Amino acid sequence: MTERTLVQAVNAAMTRAMAEDPTVLVLGEDVGADGGVFRATEGLLGRFGPQRVIDTPLAEVGIAGLAIGLAAQGFRPVAEIQFSGFLYAAIDQVLSHAARLRTRTRGRLTCPLVIRAPSGGGVRAPEHHSESPEAMFAHIPGLRVVIPSSPARGFGLLLAAIADPDPVIFLEPTRLYRAVREEVPDDAPPLPLDRAFVLREGTDATIVAWGGMVPEARAAAEALAQENVSCEVIDLATLKPLDEDTILASVARTGRIVIVQEAPLTAGFGAEVAARVAERGLLSLRAPVRRVSGWDTVMPLLRLEQAYLPNATRIAAAVRETMAFA
Amino acid sequence: MTGAVFHLPDLGEGLQDAEVVAWHVAAGDHVVAEQPLVSVETDKAVVEIPSPRSGRVLRLLAEPGARLTVGAPLVEFAEGMEADTGAVVGSLPEAAPPPPAAPPSPHPTTPAIAAVPAARARATALGIDLATIRGSGPGGTVTLADVERAATAPGAEPLRGVRLAMARSMARFRGEVAPTTVCDDADIGDWASEADVTLRLMRAIVAGCRAAPALNAWLEADGTARRLHAQIDIGIAVDTEDGLFVPVLRDAARPAEALRADFTALKAAVRDRSIAPEALRGATITLSNFGMLGGRYAALALVPPQVAILGAGRIAARPAVHGGALAVRRLLPLSLTFDHRAVTGAEAARFLAAVIGDLTRPE
Repeated sequence: MTERTLVQAVNAAMTRAMAEDPTVLVLGEDVGADGGVFRATEGLLGRFGPQRVIDTPLAEVGIAGLAIGLAAQGFRPVAEIQFSGFLYAAIDQVLSHAARLRTRTRGRLTCPLVIRAPSGGGVRAPEHHSESPEAMFAHIPGLRVVIPSSPARGFGLLLAAIADPDPVIFLEPTRLYRAVREEVPDDAPPLPLDRAFVLREGTDATIVAWGGMVPEARAAAEALAQENVSCEVIDLATLKPLDEDTILASVARTGRIVIVQEAPLTAGFGAEVAARVAERGLLSLRAPVRRVSGWDTVMPLLRLEQAYLPNATRIAAAVRETMAFA
Repeated sequence: MTGAVFHLPDLGEGLQDAEVVAWHVAAGDHVVAEQPLVSVETDKAVVEIPSPRSGRVLRLLAEPGARLTVGAPLVEFAEGMEADTGAVVGSLPEAAPPPPAAPPSPHPTTPAIAAVPAARARATALGIDLATIRGSGPGGTVTLADVERAATAPGAEPLRGVRLAMARSMARFRGEVAPTTVCDDADIGDWASEADVTLRLMRAIVAGCRAAPALNAWLEADGTARRLHAQIDIGIAVDTEDGLFVPVLRDAARPAEALRADFTALKAAVRDRSIAPEALRGATITLSNFGMLGGRYAALALVPPQVAILGAGRIAARPAVHGGALAVRRLLPLSLTFDHRAVTGAEAARFLAAVIGDLTRPE
């Protein structure tokens, strides 16, 4: 039995990748001696040494630039940014260079790096520590954007992200780091970086979620089942490239879709999902598309955090609204 | 005395539990908001938990060394103390309400039928007008279920097969033909009781066509040429649940026994839907014996290129003059509708007179 939390699964995936491939490096603030702000890199320094586990200065743009240089020179760096809210400082390097190296060199160079960052709210953190910036990165051509929602998917997706030849933004939902344990064997296979996961099958409505919203979506589906409303729950897992076919096939069956995102509403990734459904699945829709999201305001501090975050109650209410269209 | 219980708060960063290291207050102590109550150790660090309020501590609810999950009871305060108005950054008095924003400018509205896309697509496929459906969704929106219901509701059924064919040919009839109708009765009081009405009517039509060949004819669609037929092929209207079938009995001048056998076979073929399409084409004149169902006279509908149709109404005993005296006789009401583009009134009258002359014979 190797039951792991999400943060332990992330640690195990990096440990295995470093053991199997000597070009895999880990770098970031406090990732060495301290084992990372969330202990995701605990034990790596002792096992792989300071040449491969590098404590960096407190400068996210430098971490990203260093990782890009290493990647262009044949390494597979896994950079940790302590919170996704600090990714903004690194975004110029990511957007202007990491995402473009392949096209700029006509494929002569690729940029096989992973930038990991704890993301999302729900852990009563201070400002900048509860951001959900996934849509910003999904908008940048040349990046994969991945958000696991369970220990097993965290393990398999991070293995695949490290092996991928192109840059991957890997956002780990902080609130799920220690929320559940599940069996994650050391030899579990990588998971595809272009597929969504149907976590629950249903016939009346499709609930699409990712990251920290996935357990809320499942709880909503559970509650609705008591009312004889059968919900399909899809974890996107990889936002880009988006597994449009899985979503459209589900909507073709259910005719109703509720999209859940923790980020603010406007121009969030839910809008992209809604647009794809409008373009290719419109004639299946029996009810208007509904989004359940955070609000168009700065993520509040701890006392109002729960008023901001979507939850199972709000998701279930949205599904009921769509069910009013028989 | 009981009080308000303060539980181990969510310590952030997803941590689920913590171990009590040391209490900084004791039962009976007065504390102020934000004063450290207790130190706990998490997976990550030792943290101090501040008091959520000012007041008197009634009881400590966990011993040092105890491992508590988030939400476990931690300390009980005496009731009746002031509420917590503090915050990390100090007191935050409420500001005066801001001035109201300008109201949004009105948008012109276009009246439209509210229907979800799946309902629109289904309605289009079924040929149903959304305006005829009352929506059951929010705001009267037409839902998919509404369209499905409308599709099976009486009156909304799409026409198929012979009904559709009838609708088309009747519309054509209305546009092209110049229908004129003449009516009369045939006194059939001398018939034997077992006489076959349909066979007698067919024989009468043959007699009518011989007297007035212009009625056993086809008129070209543009109305400028006609084709007189030597053979009399009678289309006989047969009513079914699916609609009107008109199988054609070829060469009605043949002996009665042959006609009876053919007509029986045609009716059977219509009933079990095995009738061949060619058996429904090529009539030179039509008989509608609607009197079996009811009705006396009718202005009948012609199917071009034919120019005449004879209708037989319900046979009934009626007062009539017979042998110079008033008597109760069985009368067969007849209606002849003809296309006046191809047939003169005199020809029609001659036809009808010959039909009646044949029908009034005892056998």
